[in-house]
Amino acid sequence: MSALEICQWIRATSFATSIRESDWVYPIIETVHVLGIALLVGTVAIVDLRLLGIVLKRERVSRIAGQVLPLTWAGFVAMFATGALLFVAQASKSYVNPAFRIKMLLLLLVGLNPLIFHSTIYRSVGTWDDATAAPRRARLAAVLSLCLWSGIIIAGRAIAYY
Amino acid sequence: MSLLPLFQWVARAPIFAVMRDSRWAFAVVEMVHLLALTSFGGTLLVIDLGVLGIGLRLQPASNVARDLSRLLLGSLVVAVVSGAVLVSAEAMKCYYHPAFRVKMLLFFLAVTFNFTLHRKLVESATGAPSTRWSKLTAVTSLLLWLSVGVAGRSIGFF
Repeated sequence: MSALEICQWIRATSFATSIRESDWVYPIIETVHVLGIALLVGTVAIVDLRLLGIVLKRERVSRIAGQVLPLTWAGFVAMFATGALLFVAQASKSYVNPAFRIKMLLLLLVGLNPLIFHSTIYRSVGTWDDATAAPRRARLAAVLSLCLWSGIIIAGRAIAYY
Repeated sequence: MSLLPLFQWVARAPIFAVMRDSRWAFAVVEMVHLLALTSFGGTLLVIDLGVLGIGLRLQPASNVARDLSRLLLGSLVVAVVSGAVLVSAEAMKCYYHPAFRVKMLLFFLAVTFNFTLHRKLVESATGAPSTRWSKLTAVTSLLLWLSVGVAGRSIGFF
């Protein structure tokens, strides 16, 4: 069974069909998806902008990052759960959609970014916690994060155009 | 005064022809609109949830709001400008669209609320624990902007 056939099977299930054909469930899931993205990307962006020394300059990096983390996770859970439902409803269509494929690739990359960031430069946060702008590598991670998330939002919107 | 002549002019104005005729011009502006909305919504969530003691709760809400005000205002300006350009592509459809009208009404309410009561109460929130008033303001602000978003999304459904 190929991946496309699996997606076709998912799309044909009664669960997927009922989401796809409902008048209200689909737009509600979409709305929660966008809200989840706003919470997730908004909190990530604030940490990124703090690393770049653009917002909340007087606050410690670790203090900002630590406080917004639960919100970031809440946004992630909302985005991921609703995103999975949206995919299920249109599985085989999404699978062959170039914008969807680009979005998944960018999501993978944006997931690697914090893994690398936290296991490398962020370990020494104690030495630059008070600095207005973080070290160059941390600033690079912040710029990458902002660009990747913007790309994900653009690719996500573009799914509807294919 | 009716806004109908304004919408009629926009619908015919040669300057917006590219928005009416090009599918990709519309798509690109819509993406800019969505990026601005994410930035605006995310910043607003961080400020208001901070007032409610969720997220940025260790520093006074007034400091957070002041530091993030440029980001919030900048995103709002980009959202309004890109939104206006989107309207130019479908001016007459928007004019008669119930969801669009509801959205504009809610939007003006939300903006007015944001720059009056909301700003005043957030500015006065210099102590650590928020007062019941500022919490109520934060909840009202979140609900108002949520309703703008829901109305905006439903434009595409009618």
